[in-house]
Amino acid sequence: MNRGLIVFILLAAAVPMLAGVAGLPRPGDPQAPVHAHVAAHYVKEGVRESGAANLVTGVLLNYRAFDTFGEVMVIFAALAAVTGVSSVPPGQRPGESGGRNDSPRPVSPPISPVVAFIIRCTAPFIALFAAFVIFKGHVHPGGGFQGGVILGALLMMLSVVFGRGTRDPLVPPPLAAWLQAAAPLTFAAVAVVGVLLTGYLLGFPGAALGPVRTLMMIALELGIAVGSAVIILGLFQHMRGD
Amino acid sequence: MVGLWLNIDYAAFVALFCIGLYVVLAKQNLIKKLLGLNIMETAVFAFIVTSGMVDFGAAPIISDDTTGPFASPLPHALILTGIVVALSITALALSLIVEIYRRCGTIEADELKGVE
Repeated sequence: MNRGLIVFILLAAAVPMLAGVAGLPRPGDPQAPVHAHVAAHYVKEGVRESGAANLVTGVLLNYRAFDTFGEVMVIFAALAAVTGVSSVPPGQRPGESGGRNDSPRPVSPPISPVVAFIIRCTAPFIALFAAFVIFKGHVHPGGGFQGGVILGALLMMLSVVFGRGTRDPLVPPPLAAWLQAAAPLTFAAVAVVGVLLTGYLLGFPGAALGPVRTLMMIALELGIAVGSAVIILGLFQHMRGD
Repeated sequence: MVGLWLNIDYAAFVALFCIGLYVVLAKQNLIKKLLGLNIMETAVFAFIVTSGMVDFGAAPIISDDTTGPFASPLPHALILTGIVVALSITALALSLIVEIYRRCGTIEADELKGVE
């Protein structure tokens, strides 16, 4: 694409956007519309209504649970699409037939004993940190979902060190298939529990059943965490060619 | 222009967005185009999250020993969903790029035009 056209497109994008942001209320203005309406209601009543001290968690898992359900389905659909796109049918793998990239499969070098030892030593602490983030995240800034990613990174490191191949995967394939669907399945289960308790899909019971409500939220967080951990591990093993 | 000067944070995100747009338009390498797309996404996320902040505000975590004003939780929750969708797009695009390289041997957009 030639330079003049690029400059024109950039200007055509930048000038209206700059004109738009110039008319917005100043960032941090307490009178801005973003702090009124529903947001004000969430801040005022959110803890009592949703039972989550972290209002972002309350909005995600309670007020806008349908939204999050859709988000979980998007992750799952993306995982399915990635697996579908990148899985090569047998007989067409590079190296088996005359593909364009006919290089032999690189033999991975042996893992350094220092790295293996350090990973083994730090693994329990990483697992503890992941559990801490999952269970404690809903009352701290940032939320609990990242705990799943920490767990996934730990599983990835372990599968590098122990170097298991297709014969003996870290998580057995039938179990892995169910665990990868953990997040949508947990959401569906909690939705059904909500129907039984309140009569509404994904309905959370009121403050009278507070512990049940907290349990449902922790179940959702755990489901999302386990699901994302196994998805990350699955993508890694897929890329490695297991 | 006074409004633009007050909203210099927002103007910075517009600049970041334009950097990403430039990368998408000008670069031929598909991975660089994807990086540009990610820069654009980051600009949008930062813009919306910034709009939720409030002067001298705290994170919207309510307990007995926290006092307001609190940042608006709504932009944070919306952007969390947006980040996840962006991540899914990135993962899918990367796997498509790997597949393109496997089949065509190149990921340069101008070279791909000649490949049948």
